Amino acid sequence: MSPNKTKELARHRKERIWMWLQVLPVLTVLVVLFGGALVLAVMQSLGFAPWFGVNTFPDFSFFRALWGEWSFWYSLGLTLYYAIVSTLIALVMGIILALAMVRFFPGKTLYKYLYKLPLMIPYTVGIALAVIMLGNGGMLSRLMEFVGLIDDPSEFPQILKSHYGWGIIAVYVWKQTPFVTLTIYAVLLGVGRETEEAAAILGASKSQTFFQVTLPQILPGIISSTLIIFAFNIGAFEAPFILGGGYPDTLPVIAWRYFNDADYSLQLQGMATVVSIAMIAGIILYTYLALYRRYERKIGRN
Amino acid sequence: MKHTLISLSVTASMLGSLAMAENVEANNFRDGFLKGDVTWADVETRAKSEGTVNLYYWGGSDPINIWMDQIVTADLAKLGVTLNPVRITGTKDAIDLVLAEKGSGKGLGEGSVDAIWLNGENFATLKRQDALFGAFADKMPNSKFIEWNAEDPRSLLNLRDFGVETGAAEAPWSGEQYVCAINTARVDKAEAPSTFEGLQAYLTTNPGKFTYVKPPHYIGNTFVQSAIYAHNPDGTGAAALQAPIGEIGAEEFARLITPGIEYLKNLEPLLLGGQKGNARYPEDNAALDGMFLNGEVDFACKFGLYAVATGLNNGTYPEGAEGFVFPEGNMIKNKNYLAIPSNAPNPAAAMVMANYMTSVEAQTSKLKFTGMPPGVDPWKLDEAQVQALTAASPGLVGVTQAELDANTAPDTNATLVDVIEATWLEYIERDSSDDIATIVARAVENLK
Repeated sequence: MSPNKTKELARHRKERIWMWLQVLPVLTVLVVLFGGALVLAVMQSLGFAPWFGVNTFPDFSFFRALWGEWSFWYSLGLTLYYAIVSTLIALVMGIILALAMVRFFPGKTLYKYLYKLPLMIPYTVGIALAVIMLGNGGMLSRLMEFVGLIDDPSEFPQILKSHYGWGIIAVYVWKQTPFVTLTIYAVLLGVGRETEEAAAILGASKSQTFFQVTLPQILPGIISSTLIIFAFNIGAFEAPFILGGGYPDTLPVIAWRYFNDADYSLQLQGMATVVSIAMIAGIILYTYLALYRRYERKIGRN
Repeated sequence: MKHTLISLSVTASMLGSLAMAENVEANNFRDGFLKGDVTWADVETRAKSEGTVNLYYWGGSDPINIWMDQIVTADLAKLGVTLNPVRITGTKDAIDLVLAEKGSGKGLGEGSVDAIWLNGENFATLKRQDALFGAFADKMPNSKFIEWNAEDPRSLLNLRDFGVETGAAEAPWSGEQYVCAINTARVDKAEAPSTFEGLQAYLTTNPGKFTYVKPPHYIGNTFVQSAIYAHNPDGTGAAALQAPIGEIGAEEFARLITPGIEYLKNLEPLLLGGQKGNARYPEDNAALDGMFLNGEVDFACKFGLYAVATGLNNGTYPEGAEGFVFPEGNMIKNKNYLAIPSNAPNPAAAMVMANYMTSVEAQTSKLKFTGMPPGVDPWKLDEAQVQALTAASPGLVGVTQAELDANTAPDTNATLVDVIEATWLEYIERDSSDDIATIVARAVENLK
């Protein structure tokens, strides 16, 4: 073997080792922590929990008991309703805001910082704000009592703690609109405004320009941001727990109730709930992405 | 997620620890102490060498946290023990941890929980899983302040925790009674109901002005229990509900609780939000206190002999709040305790801490700072000690000690509480179409 070839092989090997070194840390976390937890969760939901003295693996009775009850499907409906409605509202508001941000308006520099504020505030604080402002006995109800619109803070219309979920949706939208805006704004900056201007010169109306030029351009931003916030919304626990309407609860809250019950055998039922959430979220997100890929291939993007 | 992680670590450590030998030295210490071969001076010496005590307790109350940090930490430091207060949101988290570590083969001297503030089902779980250190509570010097003589009926609260025999495996720390408060700024005290029938009548004219904490929270369970006592078809009240479910039997138990559960079912449309078909049950104390403070409800019930005085003091109760007697003859009284798990890493330090906690000094400062009533028994104290406790008490508002004593009822057996919880969830929350007997039978079967 010529010395040149040996050197090249050595270089290749070095590169490959370097690549593995780059990939390894994240891969370890994913496989060991996430993968391990997932495998254990599935095993527990199928009856493997020797530390509670339960070992009937494999046993589908926990899923059967869970899915056999009408309240599970009601809860699933509620979970999806909160997740979808808040994602849609955040998306529409985010697009409008992002489109405004690429144009010039007075005070834009300040506004550019202002709209990102909710991104830096934790969800729990947002939930606390909702309780303080919108609750019965909150600021708004007390103000209304003060000016004499109602006799008693408890007569204030119930925004929180109802199955319409206005409180939950408000917190999600408040927190997620800036995120959607940020993503779409970045995409808009990347594509520039030339195509829009060209469309305008060629005589396209405003709505034609939006639906046929701008929307396809920002679609990757829409897909990635809605994917992330929807995945969060479907699995989030705090907001529906604190602001939700009580029984029937959303699925993550049900899982928590099972885990928190003094009866240990219910933990396996809780695991079955968690695995169900993961399965449902996985199926929805996968379908969503697959449809988008098909659309991309159709329009010739790869 | 947390549970997944716990279970994950359990499995991981299970593999590692199968071959690990039990901590022989710590086990010898325990056996010696329980047999009486180890003197208290030896315990104190060992506690100093252990150095730290990890006390797991519900950290949702600022006054308790401040008291722990400012008083207990300083006093224990004088005994050579550093207090590590681990504040948890639910006592069950600590039980989970103990059982998970026990499952992974960690024995005495090897776990991470030294002591837990608990009672009721959580103690029953530890006992059932054989995860307790042993009968230490009657062997501490300060156990002289506690009535252990079974012939004295007043010893019941020390010997039985929710009907489960304590076996001195937990030290009484505080004694509480379930007391309801009325907002006299909104309701005339003369209108305060004293029976469940009175409550229903009041709510019929003032719908929505009452609610109770949602079971399975113990504050909610207790309300349900007192309703069951008051509606006991035999008229025997609490007495019929002291034996474990195995002795009573599902059928008989269902018969005993049916009138009480039916009453609560009928009450539901009259509760807060019930007029719109969606009764609102607060998740915990804090949520209920908020509703009471905001005038959403006129009455609020919880464990808290001195809750009204404390609440008025720190502004969590409305200004017109006063205690009142409800329900007559069925105001449940119980104690809460400090237990040492079987895999405590520092058992001697845990006992020194428990001994300190049962001292009159600690009981007095606890009462003064947190409004938690004493867990020691007043008839076992001398005059000066009783005086100190009386002086530290925030005082009763609207009720007298004699009224409270006259209306006392014991807690329900812990094994029954699980069934009551399950029945409430099924029959009232989930609005099941099955009858109570069927639901009880199913719950009993599931809990086996």
